[in-house]
Amino acid sequence: MEFMSLLGFAACAPDAEFRASLPFPAFDINRETIPPLLRRRSSQAMQMAFSAATAACEQAQRSPSALPAIFASVAGEIKTTDQICTELVKADGVISPAGFHNSVQNTAAGYWSIAQQCTQPASALAAGSDTLAMALLEAWCQLACQGGELLLVCYDETWPEYLDPGRGNPAFACALVLAAGAVDGRLMQIGRPQAGEAIFPAAWTNSVNSMPILAAIPLLEAVLAGKGAQTIALTPHTPGWQVDVGGWE
Amino acid sequence: MTLSPLISPVVVTAYQCVSAGGDDVEALYASLIANQTCLKPLTLFAIPFTTLVGEVTSPLPAIRPSLQAYDCRNARLALKALQQGGFRADVERVIAKHGAARVGLILGTSTSGIYDSENAYARLHQDGVMPDDFYFTKVQTAQATAEFLWLELGLQGPCYAISTACSSSAKALAAAQRLLATDCCDAVLVAGVDSLCRLTLRGFNSLQLISAEACRPMDAERQGINIGEGAALILLEKPNAENADRPRLLAVGESSDAHHMSAPHPDGVGAATAMAQALRLAGRDVSEVDYINLHATASTLNDLSEARAVSSLFPNPPPCSGVKGLLGHTLGAAGAVETVVSLLALERGFLPGTCGLREPDPECRFPVVAAPNLKVSPRLILSNAFGFGGNNASVLLEAA
Repeated sequence: MEFMSLLGFAACAPDAEFRASLPFPAFDINRETIPPLLRRRSSQAMQMAFSAATAACEQAQRSPSALPAIFASVAGEIKTTDQICTELVKADGVISPAGFHNSVQNTAAGYWSIAQQCTQPASALAAGSDTLAMALLEAWCQLACQGGELLLVCYDETWPEYLDPGRGNPAFACALVLAAGAVDGRLMQIGRPQAGEAIFPAAWTNSVNSMPILAAIPLLEAVLAGKGAQTIALTPHTPGWQVDVGGWE
Repeated sequence: MTLSPLISPVVVTAYQCVSAGGDDVEALYASLIANQTCLKPLTLFAIPFTTLVGEVTSPLPAIRPSLQAYDCRNARLALKALQQGGFRADVERVIAKHGAARVGLILGTSTSGIYDSENAYARLHQDGVMPDDFYFTKVQTAQATAEFLWLELGLQGPCYAISTACSSSAKALAAAQRLLATDCCDAVLVAGVDSLCRLTLRGFNSLQLISAEACRPMDAERQGINIGEGAALILLEKPNAENADRPRLLAVGESSDAHHMSAPHPDGVGAATAMAQALRLAGRDVSEVDYINLHATASTLNDLSEARAVSSLFPNPPPCSGVKGLLGHTLGAAGAVETVVSLLALERGFLPGTCGLREPDPECRFPVVAAPNLKVSPRLILSNAFGFGGNNASVLLEAA
């Protein structure tokens, strides 16, 4: 496989001011994308992931039930986990069964498969500041080995301030529908993620240092810019990870 | 009929494991042959109910000063496994041969270092601030122990964690095989590491899934699970003339139940799909499987679902057994820990028993191995790992 085809993408950013600063269209959470029975208990992470994933599948005109899915995030269901940890230190702390099973990293992946009635494999991946890069690499490997198409969702909700002062904000999610090789109607082609020394754009360095999943900004910006072949940094640190993009149709 | 494989096999050139069954694979083998439960009352912290756990009670090594920010029980368990036998030397040989940039690391974990986070939250509750030496993204987030091992070993290849609850480290093996198949790496270290913590003990208790006594997988009177901890390390490389005598990972089948967040599909449809997918990817037939290492947590619904999955997929099922009555359920580490159990079965020629089994559930329409069988040498083994979210994986291993 020489490259992957990007068939659709969408971004979700609940903070209006931050959303307006992004160099590509992004949307607020769309609660209609969460099945009514799940809405009340769903986390910000899951709401953003579902919002972005649904819009990306719509843009790509693909049925979510047919796509294997990779859900990638640095901190997963951190607000739910934080609530449980707070209860655990109290003598009379109460752990709810739903709170517990909704604290796992694959909560969004699991509910997505249930909501879409998708029996394809679903994965949940984490790699700290390399989360976007490793998620794209995992997507590359799955497509290169098995062909076909898949859904990649990268997301992080805001983190409780005391866990990592100065980090974990703003919340963001993006979703990409990717296909193996050259597919007609692709928005962009994406090569294999590689180790390299591409420099992350200075304009977004502070943002990505605060919220690692925002490493996706330059890649998403390139989809719309449509300038010719170029190398995009996937990590804020150097040496780090990068990817070649191009082949706009 | 054997079909051509859809993914290239990879070779297991080294493996190690720290668990309640002992500090290394030799101790684990002895525990598997003795088949006497290693589950004991919890000593690490207090819990408001009665159960037994698979706890690692031997001393854990200290983290080196330069990596102190990563210090947590999960990282120490991983470091302990790295130090057993000649495992670290095997990894260093691979780094020297291929270069650090060509060696990747995939971790499967569900707990990461949350036990140490819980201790930090106790300080937050008491002092109003988190302790100065708590580093959220180096202890608690899922990749923390992966990053620690990567730095400890001086690796420079891809490094990430798969965290899909109890299928995590089985799926880590799948990701590692793909990194090799696509030539992104020449070798990948797979680590399955999970540590005892209040969150999982009390969480599973809230689901009313914890057994007060040693659990009894696949037994008609099973009453729930025991939580365990462990670190299993599995070194994978591409096949070559030098490693032709080593066992192989043929494929990992993956599927989703699309049914319920914490309960399996009642008929085991997703579990059967994962096993069938592993065989399909490897170009193998159900008739070729010699033994299935069951996920068999001893929860009422999980074992029933898995029993139906095996019965539905295999016209003539092979002998099956589960080891969680011996070691406990090591959650995110279970896929890798039980792959090590299966590798021992392949290499040393035996079928593990099912510690705790008295009377198999009548839904088990297949032979459940109660006591270890030393007269059978399996060559092709499936090892199952199923998790929350209906997340299923089945690992297919073959003897050299």
